[in-house]
Amino acid sequence: MAEDVAPLGLLASALAGRALAVGAAGPGEPAWTDGATVFVDPGAAPADRLRAVAVQASLVAGGSLAPDVVRPLARRPALARRYLAVEGHRALAANGDLLPPGLRPLVDHVIAALAADPPGSLAVARGPGALPDPPAAFGTLRPRALPAAADAEQAAATAAAAAGRLPDVDDDDADPDEDVGSVLTSPVGGRGALGRLLARLLRPARGPGGTGPVGAGAPARVGRSRPAGGAAAARGAPEGLGRAAAALGPRDRVYPEWDVHRRRYRPAWCTVHERTAPAGDGPAPALPGGAGLRRPLARLGTGLDRTHRRPQGDDVDLDAAVEARVAALAGVPADEAVYVESLRRRRDLAVLVLLDVSGSAGEPGPAGRTVHEHQRAAAGALTAALHDLGDRVALYAFHSQGRTAVHVTRVKGFDDRLDGRAARRLGALVPGAYTRLGAAIRHGAHVLDERGGTPRRLLLVLSDGLAYDHGYGGRYGEADARRALAEARRRGIGCLCLSVGAGTEPVALRRVFGPAAHATVPTPDRLPALIGPLVGVALGDRRAP
Amino acid sequence: MTSPARPWYVPVGPEEQVFAAAHRQGLAVLLKGPTGCGKTRFVEAMAHDLGRPLVTVSCHDDLTTADLVGRHLLRGGETRWVDGPLTRAVREGAICYLDEVVEARQDTTVVIHPLADHRRQLPIDRLGIVLDAAPGFGLVVSYNPGYQSVLKDLKDSTRQRMVAIELGFPPPDVEEKIVAHEAGVDHELAARLVQLGQAIRRLDAPGLREVASTRVLIAAGRLVAEGLPARTAARAAVAGPLSDDPLVGEGLGQMVDAYLADDDG
Repeated sequence: MAEDVAPLGLLASALAGRALAVGAAGPGEPAWTDGATVFVDPGAAPADRLRAVAVQASLVAGGSLAPDVVRPLARRPALARRYLAVEGHRALAANGDLLPPGLRPLVDHVIAALAADPPGSLAVARGPGALPDPPAAFGTLRPRALPAAADAEQAAATAAAAAGRLPDVDDDDADPDEDVGSVLTSPVGGRGALGRLLARLLRPARGPGGTGPVGAGAPARVGRSRPAGGAAAARGAPEGLGRAAAALGPRDRVYPEWDVHRRRYRPAWCTVHERTAPAGDGPAPALPGGAGLRRPLARLGTGLDRTHRRPQGDDVDLDAAVEARVAALAGVPADEAVYVESLRRRRDLAVLVLLDVSGSAGEPGPAGRTVHEHQRAAAGALTAALHDLGDRVALYAFHSQGRTAVHVTRVKGFDDRLDGRAARRLGALVPGAYTRLGAAIRHGAHVLDERGGTPRRLLLVLSDGLAYDHGYGGRYGEADARRALAEARRRGIGCLCLSVGAGTEPVALRRVFGPAAHATVPTPDRLPALIGPLVGVALGDRRAP
Repeated sequence: MTSPARPWYVPVGPEEQVFAAAHRQGLAVLLKGPTGCGKTRFVEAMAHDLGRPLVTVSCHDDLTTADLVGRHLLRGGETRWVDGPLTRAVREGAICYLDEVVEARQDTTVVIHPLADHRRQLPIDRLGIVLDAAPGFGLVVSYNPGYQSVLKDLKDSTRQRMVAIELGFPPPDVEEKIVAHEAGVDHELAARLVQLGQAIRRLDAPGLREVASTRVLIAAGRLVAEGLPARTAARAAVAGPLSDDPLVGEGLGQMVDAYLADDDG
């Protein structure tokens, strides 16, 4: 009788001290883990499953699966078994305070005392001493299934140090002192593996205007593809957009960019092309319900009005009080609403949601769904909730391919209806290419200024990280984005950024937006708890916490 | 004025000495700590020790200055001034405890500024008077830093007027004692409940609203004291309130089963 083992994930996470899922292993298969998921046989007895999960989670907690320790075990199953026999007991004992009482008898303290840490256990396992086989509950080690994430990160860093800089994907005038290292270790790339980074670099070049990149089929989609890493050549990509403002549409605009190295603006540097996103063919996807978001947001868009003739309030409403007194003296029933109360009623908020649809968002997050799916759901829910509340709200998506091709696609404008077409447009967004955040922020602020039409304005960026664009990496990109934010804030536009579903904490975004205006949430359903205070602070408004 | 028995509180650090010293010096106190870790109980115990009445105000985002200070009400043909809780405490020399002060709007919390520094005065605009705090008046505010972790919520000008006391969940042995005492259960069960709580506190699962506080562990213990089986009690008092997410709820249930299973289970 197989059962769903996923609920054991909480226990596994508690014992491991970090997020650890539990999945189903094949029938009769011993339990094992890849460092992110513990696999147990759903057909096993509940007590056995519990033991297996506790052992594997304790191994994770105890650092028993660190690459340095596990690497020598990769092709030596006998050694792996001896290592597990010692390390299993050691890790369990080290986790002893947390182990459920029923599992304590599992620990053999004599064996556990043989080693003080994983390398110690490895030494014992390599030694000549006889060791009992690990109990069946210990499951097995699969060294090769363990992530070499740390390895890859190290390799990437080494490669960066050795190479000095990335293969030339920069614009012609990239700064020589670009912070390449930070590009490589950029949190955007999930685990920072070099391979993924390169995959992302190459992606837009492989499919110019084809299936992959965002905005495929957008009217002015420009497949200005460039050889990335010298590996992939553009195939039939029209060298459409020239360097400067060629073929500007009515809503396209040119923006300056801040050059942190020279400490001055580069005038008319970036071209932003604003287009309406194409609607997908399929049925309109249901816009995610924004019900949970509505409550925290409800208080935010409203001005505080002093309302007269209220049944309760901070002060006496003199007119009403005099009338009431007159009425009372005249023997007429008096109105008892004689106070002035401060109520929030007036809605005076315009929000522009700016959704990052660069290639990095297409990568799967820790929960399986891609970051893009999470962010798209969050964008839809926020837009729907704000729209329901009567705020003016617009939803734009952005990505870029060099400074002359920053694409901002309109999913819903301020004056568009939030209908099935808008939902289809949202559903049809496909992530691809890069992020030139500064230009997108400048354009968003411009749209808010021009079409927002309310005294209070908010720019809400949904992004998974500060990916870079050609000639827009590391410190340069951060400085420009920060500059663009400062410009917007000076114009009275509140700015904040949410990262939804990203695997790693986007530290660069946090630096750019500031800790009070950036939040990371694992899934969109965590938004309601955070959105109120974040938006409140971004609007300089502490009325609603 | 004070209740005959001292509210039961087990100190973990020097918090009682700090509080008493701050009170004698007329300094305001900022209590930091997660929900259900014993902040309110601590203030009750200290008010008892210091022999002062306690006025508690639970702050919320619609709390106005008038709610704290007082307002004019119309009674028949005349207006009558009604003191708010803060004014009452200032007049009586009571300890005024503003619970979850960050919930209040910042324009409301600034009224405590002149009370919290050397002036120890409460200006009441509507009456055109300035009240000097009676001897023994003490201001205590609490807030839960993890509650809205994205923000540093309290204004710096407010924070700097306070002496901060950080309260966390007590260490396991102390917490065990507290659960056993408060719930009236034996130490073995208390130890298991505390262990369950410790495990839940290590989680950062989406859908989990808060961690298992000492308060929910005590609640579980009290249900057991009423004769419920431990697992049923913990599911009702610990797992249920912490999450509405079915998957997380099921996961918590599994944890409850693992930690509160019988030894032979």
